[in-house]
Amino acid sequence: MKVSLTWLREFVELPPTTQELVNLLTLAGVEVEEVIQRGVDIPHVVVAQVLESTQHPNADRLSVCKVECGQPQPAQIVCGAKNYKVGDKVALALPGAVLPGDFKIKVGKLRGVESEGMMCSAKELGLGEGHEGLLILPPDAPIGAPLSSLFPADTILDLEITPNRPDLLSHYGIAREIAALRGVALAPSPARHASPTVATGARVTIHAAGLCPFYSARRIRGVTVGPSPDWLRNRIESIGIRSINNIVDVTNLVMMEMGQPLHAFDEARLDEGEIHVRQAQAGESFQALDGKTYTLTPDDLVIADARAASAIAGVMGGEHSGVTSATRDILVESALFNSQSVRRTSRRLGLASDSSYRFERGIDPAGVLAASDRATGLIIELAGGIAEPEIETAGSLPDTSRKVPLRSSRVSAILGVEIPEPRIDSILTRFGLATQPDKSWLIPSFRLDLTREADLIEEIARAYGIENIPGSVRGSPAPSSPADSMHDMHMEIRRRLAGQGFFEARTFSLISPLQTRGILPDRYDPKDEMVIHLRNPLVSDQSQLRATLIPGLLAALDRNLRADARSIRLFEIGRIYLAGREPEERVHLAAILTGDAIAASWVNTAPRHADLFDMKGVIQGLGIESLDFVPLPPDATGAKGLLSPVGITIAGQDAGVLGLLRPAAVRALDCPTPVAIFEIDLSAARLPGAPSRIAPIARFPAVTRDIAIIAPQSLAHAEIERAVRAANEPLLTGIQLFDQFSDPTGNRLPAGQKSLAYSLTYRSAERTLTADEVNAAHARLKERLKASLSVSFRE
Amino acid sequence: MDETLDQLRAAALAELDAADGEQAVEAVRVKYLGRAGSISALSEGMKSLGKEDKPRIGKLLNEVRAQVTAAIDARKAALQEARDSAAVAGLDTTLPGVPVLRGALHPMTLLLDRAVAIFRRMGFALADGPDIEDEWHCFDALNTPADHPARNEQDTFYLPDGRLLRTQTSTIQVRTMAAQRPPVRIIGPGAAYRRDEIDATHLSQFTQMEGLYVDEGVTLADLKGTVEFFFRELLGPNAEVRFRPHFFPFTEPSFEIDIKAPALGGDRWLELAGCGMVDPAVFESINQRRGDNAYDPETVSGWAFGFGLERLAMIISSVPDIRYFIENDLRFLEQFR
Repeated sequence: MKVSLTWLREFVELPPTTQELVNLLTLAGVEVEEVIQRGVDIPHVVVAQVLESTQHPNADRLSVCKVECGQPQPAQIVCGAKNYKVGDKVALALPGAVLPGDFKIKVGKLRGVESEGMMCSAKELGLGEGHEGLLILPPDAPIGAPLSSLFPADTILDLEITPNRPDLLSHYGIAREIAALRGVALAPSPARHASPTVATGARVTIHAAGLCPFYSARRIRGVTVGPSPDWLRNRIESIGIRSINNIVDVTNLVMMEMGQPLHAFDEARLDEGEIHVRQAQAGESFQALDGKTYTLTPDDLVIADARAASAIAGVMGGEHSGVTSATRDILVESALFNSQSVRRTSRRLGLASDSSYRFERGIDPAGVLAASDRATGLIIELAGGIAEPEIETAGSLPDTSRKVPLRSSRVSAILGVEIPEPRIDSILTRFGLATQPDKSWLIPSFRLDLTREADLIEEIARAYGIENIPGSVRGSPAPSSPADSMHDMHMEIRRRLAGQGFFEARTFSLISPLQTRGILPDRYDPKDEMVIHLRNPLVSDQSQLRATLIPGLLAALDRNLRADARSIRLFEIGRIYLAGREPEERVHLAAILTGDAIAASWVNTAPRHADLFDMKGVIQGLGIESLDFVPLPPDATGAKGLLSPVGITIAGQDAGVLGLLRPAAVRALDCPTPVAIFEIDLSAARLPGAPSRIAPIARFPAVTRDIAIIAPQSLAHAEIERAVRAANEPLLTGIQLFDQFSDPTGNRLPAGQKSLAYSLTYRSAERTLTADEVNAAHARLKERLKASLSVSFRE
Repeated sequence: MDETLDQLRAAALAELDAADGEQAVEAVRVKYLGRAGSISALSEGMKSLGKEDKPRIGKLLNEVRAQVTAAIDARKAALQEARDSAAVAGLDTTLPGVPVLRGALHPMTLLLDRAVAIFRRMGFALADGPDIEDEWHCFDALNTPADHPARNEQDTFYLPDGRLLRTQTSTIQVRTMAAQRPPVRIIGPGAAYRRDEIDATHLSQFTQMEGLYVDEGVTLADLKGTVEFFFRELLGPNAEVRFRPHFFPFTEPSFEIDIKAPALGGDRWLELAGCGMVDPAVFESINQRRGDNAYDPETVSGWAFGFGLERLAMIISSVPDIRYFIENDLRFLEQFR
């Protein structure tokens, strides 16, 4: 809401500087979003008339003018503008003037010709951006008059009023707050009569009392509708309201002054001059003042005459009954409408106004008739006419008077500082509250927000100033929670992945069903029944909650590929969402890897491309407890679309999958290298803590023996390893694959066979082994493998 | 004999000095210490010495032999040393080190973890809650009126069954109090959602962090001290913190927190967080849901705060566009290594 400081000064003495006022309001909870200077407040800038204009002798683009500016002699001014003609009135900055930007005007020579000042553009005077040419003034502007008389200086504050403070939505309300905060006097309300004469109007009826507790109408006959006088136009335009005519401008002025929205009808346009406050009929059509036609429902409240709606109550008047230059008789409405009803209608119609804004937040019942009276007085003053002696009313003004108890012990218990009782009393009294014999406080009608002790404590904190409350850090530490453990584990996994060259991505939970269609393996292309859709997505590409992190990572991969990145390692730890009777949220880890297996450098100019086993190593390097891999058949459910799918288990339970994107998908991404991906549900993941008992460090040396096994292609490494372990050879302490090859040409190995070379470690905890002992153990093991796996050995 | 030995020694040492290779040194060794070498020959000659000369000459002989042996070893070592150095002579040590792959955590994670660490120093535990919430946890329990604009379909994402995506992490406060008796001293980071068009300063999903402290005798002074401590730890001891009265449905009194800090680039107050004393109406809602009076507003009091991490991270690192945080461009992420 915009407020004019000139206007505020009519009600209260302001702090000496705007900055002090801004600070006062800000620290009292009224945020100042912008300070706008209006008008001209520069001495030595006057109205002048151009008497003659001749070409500058030494400069093509300049002219030399003689101007009349109320001084004994015309002034000679050198000017570069072209948009004026002789006889025009212009703004002249005389020597001594200081224009915005600390631009000092002096007598000086311009290309050899003396200039006794400067003719100004609107921009140079700080009157807005305008065009670059001179500001041309109205022909009746008095020569020599200070420009500030044409453009009165004012400062406008754009305030953010919190929804709990509707009483601040007017100049008088802000003035009242300033007076309370500063402890200075407040001028009396601008209304003429504290309680104007009222009468129950025969022609005013409320048919929906729940939506309109009170309605008042003042009829004024024989007004002359015309343009508003300058002071009125300036005043409302200064706070951003367009001037319409003297009647409408008065209703807006009073709303901005006292906070009560008013509406003026052309009474002749009201059938039978009647006012019916009623719910709209279903489908009732209404043409509002904004020229648009709205279709109403019984949920909307309208002001109607005997036949049709003339206004949407509290929101906007109608085109048909609006005040025009032809209007003679008017009816001024001042009413109370139900705030929820106004809000619903305003929102449903997408139609908001200064009026609906105020009704939505709440109106001071005590101000309804005062505002009507104030408007009536101004209208008669500016437009003539005769007001009916009484204000016609229907319904009754609610009694909002209430008492709120306050214990000073609670004040210190909540604020953490002892505030003496006299101080509390003085604060609340300034805000218009009145102390009662029972230690409670009587709340003024305009403070709709003060209903509980906590609300009064807030007022005290606000006025006392939180800067005067010393801060302290207090409280015993809380024991760590499951969320703490999860956070720590996730951070550790993140750091381990970063240590392996991965960058953490964060992608949206909301994704598009189309985002990666045709690219995702079926595990990551969840069935519709698993997916949670939004009822009201904002855009179609964020219409469902992700059931997997992979689409987001693929999108990130795509983006980086387009930016010419070639080695890309990304991971994300984030929530996924699954539909069900109760929606389920789980934390997943997913990663994507393509490009070089190690960093390329001058020592290794062409590293090999990362593959499935690099990614498998990454997963193993995380150190998640009881994590294992199970090969999946290529057509396994959940693995279609993956090349070489590998299931990931944690403690034997399915936890995810690892694989390569199928080449078609990789080509679709225009990615030059294979793409490995994995996703793991971290619900069951644990990182090992310190071991409860470490293994003793071996005291005797180990002996290694290599073994090269020739096996059919179909025999998996895991089976060989299992068979070795199953042999239970007591001296065997380790087995490590160190080479693996096959030869499709059949030269080195028969086709269909492969060679796997293992290094076996033998060791005893009691003694140094002899060669004979090791040889015997090794021979035993080979016999067992030969028997159990039907393999042969390369010697 | 003495004289001969002295001469031999001098000759051997001089020849070693001149030996410019392994072979030359070996030749000196053979010449003097070999089986047929001159010093070895003198040892043979010991037999012919008289009893009185034997110990003295023997000692001298051993001395010379040891000296020559040591000189040979030293010469060999020196030659080896010279060869080693020559092997790497001229190596350009300004060549770059062999790079190690090193990724990075996301800037949001880094900031969040710093914030968590600071609050843990003050004894806060982490708490959690789902992104998919119901109206009770997101609005009703937080004293938000039924017709509050935030509940609107325009502003909040709804699921077909009436559930919604939480618009603020304050739901974590509600969940924690519903599940646990006071004292409560928690922080709750997480995602929040608003139905906003995405642009340079808005995301429809963003990160918030929530704090809640409820116990007997918790005051606004504690809130102020805790918030000041947090921001000074995060942004440096010169950070200034200003509390500006504001309005939130779930706290009373309520404040917005403005920060001015060199780390935030200067002398402007930046609105970074909201906070306040928990509104008694929130406690009443919790009690109703719990079916007890564990959060009796006459016995316990509390405060809560919340702030958005993206905006803070944007200011700290001068990030011009909030979308950088979700685009996952490596050229951005690499800067947080």
